[in-house]
Amino acid sequence: MKTIAEFMTADHKACDHKFADAEVAALDGNWSEAGIAFNAFNDNMLRHFVTEEDLLFPALISAGGPSGPVQMMRMEHDQIRELLSQMTAAVSAKNTQHYSGLSETILMVMQQHNHKEENILYPIMDQILAQQREALMGRLLTV
Amino acid sequence: MQIASLSTEQAPPISVPLRYFAAAPVFLIFSALLLALSGSNPFADLRSGAQIAATHHITLGVMAMVMLGAIQQMLPVVIGSPMPASRIVAWLTFLPLIAGVLLFSASFMLGKMFMLDWAWTLLGLSFLIFIAASLLSLWRATAQNATKTAIFLSIISLAGAVSLGLLLAHGYAAGLPLSYPLLATAHISLALGGWVLLLIIGVSYQVVPMFQLTPNYPKWMTSALAPALFIVLLLKLGLLPFETMPSWSGFFVECLFWLLACSFAVITLKLQSQRRRRVPDAPLSFFRLGMASLLLAAIFSLAALIWPQYSDNLRTLSALAYILGFALSLIQGMLYKIVPFLIWFHLFRGGIKAIKAGVPNMKEIIPEPLMWRHLWLQCATLLTALMAPWSTEVAYLTMLGLLLQGILLAYAIYIGIRVYRHTLKRLMQA
Repeated sequence: MKTIAEFMTADHKACDHKFADAEVAALDGNWSEAGIAFNAFNDNMLRHFVTEEDLLFPALISAGGPSGPVQMMRMEHDQIRELLSQMTAAVSAKNTQHYSGLSETILMVMQQHNHKEENILYPIMDQILAQQREALMGRLLTV
Repeated sequence: MQIASLSTEQAPPISVPLRYFAAAPVFLIFSALLLALSGSNPFADLRSGAQIAATHHITLGVMAMVMLGAIQQMLPVVIGSPMPASRIVAWLTFLPLIAGVLLFSASFMLGKMFMLDWAWTLLGLSFLIFIAASLLSLWRATAQNATKTAIFLSIISLAGAVSLGLLLAHGYAAGLPLSYPLLATAHISLALGGWVLLLIIGVSYQVVPMFQLTPNYPKWMTSALAPALFIVLLLKLGLLPFETMPSWSGFFVECLFWLLACSFAVITLKLQSQRRRRVPDAPLSFFRLGMASLLLAAIFSLAALIWPQYSDNLRTLSALAYILGFALSLIQGMLYKIVPFLIWFHLFRGGIKAIKAGVPNMKEIIPEPLMWRHLWLQCATLLTALMAPWSTEVAYLTMLGLLLQGILLAYAIYIGIRVYRHTLKRLMQA
């Protein structure tokens, strides 16, 4: 069975791929394709955040996990959500230049954030939530 | 597990890394001016006083300067452990480094070798504090990864290179009867082959997949390359004092070093060619130019082993490709990623208020066309540098290239800082 770290890291990668597809299409000026890829990226990201904020973070806190880092991750989610909403506006306006700048920015924020989760927070979850992992993984697949 | 490390509060204040990044281009400008003041073609003899002064302006004033800023920024994110007392470490490394490099070059340019004693004291202080602080940070980190190992070995090599550098400088100042060529070879091997290469390898493990969405470096490489390079360097140093050793042993060790370095360049270029993010990106092109230059440096050095009669010229070309092509391309490319991100990151931390008042995105901080112009200038400078040893006119073009690059980089960083200040003022008023 996969660990939480493996499962969530694979989800990060899937989001990265959608991100790249959207960026390539947007910078090519192919807005119909960019719109589809961006929506997929946006949906994946928001679903990923819901998984963490509604399921994994509360489970970690109630099992006695650290609340400070969780708070920090929530704050970074808010930053990324804000960038996503600005990108949605850039897609609607078909503004390549603005999209390209936001895309560069969100990538850096997202990668830093993912790095911290993959290397620090998820391993903590696998450790602290070891006993409930099976049940949690079942619920992860349904979000 | 270092739980507290997720906090962004562990990132140093923006003034800590930015002071180093803003100072670095000034030293690039100085290096061009020092070369121009040399009177003859400084590229014809890399051991001339002007060339030694200019080279150290690049290695210490640009490369070490950027490293000092970047490492303090990177350690909290990559290994989850910040530098202790970041503001104090920043002042105690920054000012002595600047003063040390200036005194170092002044002593060579003016022929007043006693000034080297002042220079090495200041440089020694700066590096001692930096090395102690970074080793403490690495020691405290519980995260284990390949980047941590590579950075650790890079810092150890730096400590060795600095110690030998101090010995050489004091030796010149006091007129001590030392084995200068041997010590200089060891100093250069540890500095360029150890500190610079291992640091770039460690950082690349993180940033290549991160910035361009490439596959990760292969496991065999991340677990073995940095330690293998370090061992090869130690072997090289171990062989140096023994002139009676068969020549094939030195030949073998040097071949091994360059083959390992080439494997890093080839794998990096291959990963970058497999990137998901297929959009034009100036920092990526700087990175690829750097890797191509590393391969070129390896070819020149290996050719020097095969054709010893041309060894002097080929080794000069290798050094130029390595410092001006490999190290300088990577450093400048990285700055064009790091500086806009840092500025954005520190502005965006203002929270909802900042978001509502509007924070410029990364491409609105340093304009992209400027980065592309700089890339072409870097290509041209490198091309002229590889012809400079044979023509004084071309050597002047190389100096002009370095001068313009310094000015362009300084201007880019100035624009970034200006955007930061203006936006911050606007956010305060909002």
